[in-house]
Amino acid sequence: MALDADDEILQDFLVEASEILEQLNEQLVELEQRADDTDLLNAVFRGFHTIKGGAGFLGLTPLVDVCHRAEDVFNLLRNGEKQVTPELMDTMLPVLDVLNEQFESLRALQEPPEADPELLHRLENLKRPDGATQVEETVAAAGGASEEAFVAATGTEGAPASVPQTAQPAAAGGDPDGDITDEEFEALLDALEQPGAASVSSAPAQSGGEPAGDEITEDEFENLLDELHGKGKFGGAPAEGAVSPAGEADKPASDEITEDEFENLLDQLHGKGQFGGVPAGDATPPAEAPPAAAGTTGNSASEEITEEEFENLLDQLHGKGKFGSVPGEGEPPAVPSQQAEVPKAVPEPPAQSAAKAPAQPSAAPKPTASAPPAPKPEARKAEPQGETTVRVDTKRLDDIMNMVGELVLVRNRLATLANVDESDSTQAREEMAKAVANLDVVTGDLQASVMKTRMQPIKKVFGRFPRVVRDLSRSLKKEVQLEMHGEETDLDKNLVEALADPLVHLVRNAVDHGIEMPDKREAAGKPRTGTLTLAAEQEGDHILLIIEDDGGGMEPDVLRSKAVEKGMMDEDAAARLSDKECFELILAPGFSTKSEISDISGRGVGMDVVKTRIAQLNGSVDIDSEFGKGTRLSIKVPLTLAIMPTLMVKLRAQTFAFPLVSVVEIFHLDLRKTNVVDGQRVVMVREKALPLFYLTRWLVTDAAGEPLPKSGHVVVVNIGTQQVGFVVDHLIGQEEVVIKPLGTMLQGTQGMAGATITGDGKIALILDLPGLMKAYGGQY
Amino acid sequence: MPVRVLVVDDSGFFRRRVTEMLKSDPRLDVVGTAADGAEAVEKAAQLRPDVITMDIEMPVMDGITAVRRIMAATPRPILMFSSLTTDGARATFDALDAGAVDYLPKRFEDISRDRDEAKRQLCERVWSVGSKGHTRPAVPKTPPPLARAVPRTAVQRPVSAIASTPSSAPLRRGQVKLVAIGTSTGGPVALQEVLTKLPGNFPVPLVLIQHMPGTFTPAFAQRLDQQCAITIREAKDGDELVPGTALLAPGGRQMVVESRGGRQFVRITDEPGQNYKPSVDITFSSLARNYPGPVLAVVLTGMGADGREGARLLKQGGSVIWAQDEATCVVYGMPAAVAEAGLTSQIMPLPEIGTAIARQVAV
Repeated sequence: MALDADDEILQDFLVEASEILEQLNEQLVELEQRADDTDLLNAVFRGFHTIKGGAGFLGLTPLVDVCHRAEDVFNLLRNGEKQVTPELMDTMLPVLDVLNEQFESLRALQEPPEADPELLHRLENLKRPDGATQVEETVAAAGGASEEAFVAATGTEGAPASVPQTAQPAAAGGDPDGDITDEEFEALLDALEQPGAASVSSAPAQSGGEPAGDEITEDEFENLLDELHGKGKFGGAPAEGAVSPAGEADKPASDEITEDEFENLLDQLHGKGQFGGVPAGDATPPAEAPPAAAGTTGNSASEEITEEEFENLLDQLHGKGKFGSVPGEGEPPAVPSQQAEVPKAVPEPPAQSAAKAPAQPSAAPKPTASAPPAPKPEARKAEPQGETTVRVDTKRLDDIMNMVGELVLVRNRLATLANVDESDSTQAREEMAKAVANLDVVTGDLQASVMKTRMQPIKKVFGRFPRVVRDLSRSLKKEVQLEMHGEETDLDKNLVEALADPLVHLVRNAVDHGIEMPDKREAAGKPRTGTLTLAAEQEGDHILLIIEDDGGGMEPDVLRSKAVEKGMMDEDAAARLSDKECFELILAPGFSTKSEISDISGRGVGMDVVKTRIAQLNGSVDIDSEFGKGTRLSIKVPLTLAIMPTLMVKLRAQTFAFPLVSVVEIFHLDLRKTNVVDGQRVVMVREKALPLFYLTRWLVTDAAGEPLPKSGHVVVVNIGTQQVGFVVDHLIGQEEVVIKPLGTMLQGTQGMAGATITGDGKIALILDLPGLMKAYGGQY
Repeated sequence: MPVRVLVVDDSGFFRRRVTEMLKSDPRLDVVGTAADGAEAVEKAAQLRPDVITMDIEMPVMDGITAVRRIMAATPRPILMFSSLTTDGARATFDALDAGAVDYLPKRFEDISRDRDEAKRQLCERVWSVGSKGHTRPAVPKTPPPLARAVPRTAVQRPVSAIASTPSSAPLRRGQVKLVAIGTSTGGPVALQEVLTKLPGNFPVPLVLIQHMPGTFTPAFAQRLDQQCAITIREAKDGDELVPGTALLAPGGRQMVVESRGGRQFVRITDEPGQNYKPSVDITFSSLARNYPGPVLAVVLTGMGADGREGARLLKQGGSVIWAQDEATCVVYGMPAAVAEAGLTSQIMPLPEIGTAIARQVAV
């Protein structure tokens, strides 16, 4: 089946089904709390049912397979023939993950991957009323069969009677398994016989046009091949060693293929330097051969390991295959087009202010979209393709159209006034003032309306937390109750997407490190169940997000000694830290309070990454903790990334903008009262030393050698966990600016976040304070 | 005037697809859509569509409840969109009990591998049901204008049929040795209506052929069995035909009747190349070949002409053919085919068929 991006039907399906899937994510977790809520059960059932219907319509069999089984299970549940148990949910939730994965592929216009057969078997097992399952489980257990054997037996749709038979490891079990192998073999042979299948042969043509993407994928492809090589052999060997009578016919065939043809295939693919993603998809079926063969030989421990490893390998392959081709086809074209849109909007002087507002939506995607201009592997893995469509109420669009109409009228009015002769200048000026006032209103409304179309409820991010918390607390054996408030709070679509990862990290952190084990809580006189509160609310032009737990909290002294231990500061400096500053230490790079890294929150990114991410969004993180009582994290982010309140300053004749969110205070100083400590110029502010930097020296050409000014304005800003002061020549004031990305030539200039056009038509550079410190504040 | 359709489904995706498909047929016009049962009840009253396609699983109010409400307030022909699964069957029959005329498969692959063919069939069924412009419960009392406008009437047909084929003198009471009923669209409801009128001590065996997928026939047989005095089972290969028991041909396969040692059995086969599984023609012709003694074959509502050739063979062997009349048919296709071929000895409205059969076979 060819997937076509322009296929409206597919897009239509994706939009609807994605929404349902999102709801299902929430509903399923909710279900565990309210297991006998019939409405909820019905809703979940319908969700799977509807996705199945659409998928069936489009012939997306892998989706139908999954949804169909899930639907059946929920049908039993809603008919009361089965009970919701945590174990059941342990199967149902991964089902959702599989669906999500399949949707990712669909969005990338790739064939959705088949669900893991083992999961389908598990679902198949659940498709029986409670009584039946129990009986069979005991039978299987009595037979001493491993779970695989049980699953394989029931998976063949055999009568229940076949269970005890297949439970006997040797000959009897070989039969149904053999069937599976045959089938899989057919598929495998098919795949091998046509290495140049349509998808593969089309790849070179595309890769030719994308040299940049090609390089990356080739590297990855190398790795992929290495992996396939190594594991392919490894998988084949044990299968060979453990040939059982049942395996006979299939075995030699599998050997031939894995060793020879498979290698040839890989060589072939390799030699031609074809696209990473597409061959990976084709290489998957061959990789399936060894586990299939292993399956026929019974169930010794060593084989189980091989199977598992192969599962992983397959997952990896699936993953890479999926994402591999995305950069080649999907993303790069999208980025240039967005870039193209933005500059176009800028240089049109007559309609400048008009252009500003409509340009926002196109400018906004920039920060995220331009981040990987040559997509990096890790970026791809995280998000193959952000959601590219937004649903907007047609009423809202009508309003916008209406306002654009108003704008045109104002433009006409201004054009007329510009041509009016100067004879009656007072009146003309009045008229002009009226028109401008009108313009102000219209652009303001338009700005707000366009922003609204991009607004999405934070629920989109919050929605995944019940699941995260549920899975985590189950695996950590903790008891956690999640409370969420303000899920309806709207914020910019890009922010919603950008906040997702940091928030997930913080939530995991809170469950992992914050909330104590139930026994410990009880001993401390707290309820066994910990409470994690997530709240969102709008505060002016900001969104305040709060993540609060009633867990163990943090002890400032422990943090202090940890900081010393890590060599981040000496004991004196640590002792001088206020409690609050201690808490903020956890946001510093390389600081982890737990000695051992758990695989839950200690995976890769640390709190410092969270901090950096939030800072990139012009947001701030605030930590408050009380030992024994809990920890509260407050995150402040602007409503949108496209428009930013700034503090405009002047260095000589040039205007610069500080993101207002970082600015703590401004004061005028007699700069002769500064001291030099440790080679760093500082000024004492409320008995604390504040590092001081002369921005003019950094940013104005030829100013480095000039004598220091005697007095000046100091802008105190927060950078990470530190406060520093910047000396500037003049303060202009606050201004809301529209962020324009720097042109391609200047892209990536250290310390500059972008540019904007000031009220007087000049260009002001927007400072990226952390970047600035990195680039210039070397010794600091 | 195109047939006015109301499309009811909670999935916007599905509503749009169905609407697109129906609109591609100039004979059909989608006059409205509804996203749940409650909305459907409202729109049915407001728009008065000629036919409604109805999903079963919906929030707020499910399709079955909606059918019940619509049939109580503003009766229209309703076609259910059903999953062709065992559970789907249960729900579908509930909907038919509630007053829906028939069902359509929700997965279009179930109709056909070919999308265009599926579309054509969908439109055809919606049109054939909608163009009748009447609803089932209303029928017996007041024949709808459309039916009256057609000059051919139920009474004329048997006369001409008998006149054209004098060999088929009406059988005497008690002569019939087996009753065979074949039907398609509208059949589930029609069969129920007929079979519930038969007494428990029915003196001859019955065979039933209803166009239906294999996932539906077991539930259908079970349901009929519960509702009727006679015994109804889905036929299994080798089942013997015995008085008072109706064997329902299993969906997706073919049922033929064999005679061995003076007893009659059914064989369930997978004859390739048949349009219908089960096919009325196949069972009827096997009866014509192998059944000792005259058969009363009844052709009820349904699209197409399945049953005509089998009926022809039966008639040649001295059996009698009855057909349901146009006014009470959901789709007057199969009965029309046998009637127009001059094979029928009687054409009668649905409510009379059951009693007539009972009278005919009574000893």
